[in-house]
Amino acid sequence: MHAPTTARHSPRWRAAALSLLAVGFCGSSFAVSDGQTPSSGAWEYLQKQFYPDRSIGVLDDSYMSLTAPANTPDPAATPLTLHFGDAAVGHIKQIRVIIDNNPSPLAATFDVAGGARVAEIGMRVRIDRFTSVRAIAETSDGKFEMRSAWVNASGGCSAPPGPMSAGSLGDIRFRPSPDSRSMLISIRHPNNSGFQIDPRSGEPIPSHYVSHIRFSADGRTLLEADTGISLSENPTLRIASDQPLPAPIVVDIVDSKDAHFNASWRGALAESAASSTGSGAGGSR
Amino acid sequence: MRVPALRVLFLRALIWPMASIMLHASVAAAAPDLAITIHEVAPGVFVHLGRQLALDAPGHDDIANIGFILGQRCVAVIDTGGSMRIGRALHAAIRRRTGLPICYVINTHVHVDHVLGNAAFRQERPKFVGHSGLDAAMARSREFFLQHYAGDLDQPPSATQIIAPDTPVEQTLELDLGGRHLQLRAWPLAHTDCDLTVFDDASRTLWTGDLLFRDRLPAVDGSASGWLTVIDQLARLQVVRAVPGHGPLSTDLPSALDPERRYLRALIDGVRDELAQGSSMQHAIAHVATAEMPNWLLWDSTHARNVARVYEQMEWQ
Repeated sequence: MHAPTTARHSPRWRAAALSLLAVGFCGSSFAVSDGQTPSSGAWEYLQKQFYPDRSIGVLDDSYMSLTAPANTPDPAATPLTLHFGDAAVGHIKQIRVIIDNNPSPLAATFDVAGGARVAEIGMRVRIDRFTSVRAIAETSDGKFEMRSAWVNASGGCSAPPGPMSAGSLGDIRFRPSPDSRSMLISIRHPNNSGFQIDPRSGEPIPSHYVSHIRFSADGRTLLEADTGISLSENPTLRIASDQPLPAPIVVDIVDSKDAHFNASWRGALAESAASSTGSGAGGSR
Repeated sequence: MRVPALRVLFLRALIWPMASIMLHASVAAAAPDLAITIHEVAPGVFVHLGRQLALDAPGHDDIANIGFILGQRCVAVIDTGGSMRIGRALHAAIRRRTGLPICYVINTHVHVDHVLGNAAFRQERPKFVGHSGLDAAMARSREFFLQHYAGDLDQPPSATQIIAPDTPVEQTLELDLGGRHLQLRAWPLAHTDCDLTVFDDASRTLWTGDLLFRDRLPAVDGSASGWLTVIDQLARLQVVRAVPGHGPLSTDLPSALDPERRYLRALIDGVRDELAQGSSMQHAIAHVATAEMPNWLLWDSTHARNVARVYEQMEWQ
């Protein structure tokens, strides 16, 4: 039951009942999307805004899938993985990730460069309460595909900052897979949602989040992401391809205070040469 | 109703859930609402063994080991259970045995199953004693407790029922109960950021709080590596018996710590390998330490969370 690629989530009514109890001390089974999670007012509104008069396909998991834990191990950092099948790699133009019941449902918009062979996108998000999470992809030939998953969680957006939230803002770490086909990027940033309360002072913590990420390999932009407060503290982005990602990998980040950070990874042989720089605006560094 | 230590030894040998059912079948019917089973595991040392249930299961307020130590002058309570109901039952159990004042209520850490009964002792005007980090940890948890465990408080639920310590322990503190002394020790980041142990010098009994889980899968709310360091220190202490936070008592603390040490080591090593491969958190959850699964109760409700937490921390080590 721990295999993300095989487990199916439980029937909706059961999920809904369990969600009343699930508070983060939850199970570990993973659900693969089946395109049938409940709709919601938020989704119906966003569908009209982003996809008016569009027909959205929802059925073929071999084309694209969304994996999310049915019961999140951490509502403030719930892992999501978008996987693209052979037929989809190189033909995806844009993906929006929407968390219906979050205060700011649009978690991220990924714009994939033409022909870029992105096979997987992984991230961690805040889940405020039990919700459908959906990914809508626009293909290069103008079709739309959606996958959704149901996640039980609560309180992810208002969870107080972790004790690890100190540290150097804008630090970036690279972790390639041994075959160089994937790169895990960890970004040191509080990504304050604006819904968190400082437990000491009782005062709200103003929102301060990573708003844009550009991911390039060997001088070519693979994708750019517009991101928001639903990304977790210390956001991560994991990009996988069906072929080795050519070094240098460069990540450019902008946050909501217009601070800019970037870092590059120059390949396994030059790993120690990985560098990271930041330029703060508004005194945010 | 005093249970000889020998019987406790016997019970310990049983599979825990079975023992739990047996113990609860023998609950006395003296108290008005609820009576809990208490064992006198050493002269003046009384333990109620919690049940191995998930934190969202019916009966979740009675999952921690709680109890009290009786001196000649007064009584110290060690953890109060996960509800006012359990706190009152513990209070009633004390009053069935002694009229001495309750001078201390000690919390071994912040978790709901150990602290939510505190207010049941308020009228005794005890000192509430905890790790110097417990006050802040309570502040962080108060809203969460009110939202998710409101039913375990008196109605209407209120923040004033969630009682933080007034007597912080920075490193060590000795409490005199008359004829016996308790040595309290605050530990660095391990199970939580506010772990406290209580050593009774008269019986050489160590209450570990949740620094020792037996049978039930340990929950990492602090630092797995910090916890391993503390385990090594605990294993060197000269104690006759240990009262874990969850699971049966032990007369061999170093051995009792072994399964927990092995699991935490597997967590850390597994997550380190996953990160070295650039694997996602989901992959880590599906693969790290899974060989440990048959050794523990309540795996599904805790293991994924442990992996996620260790992963998030080790990302920046």
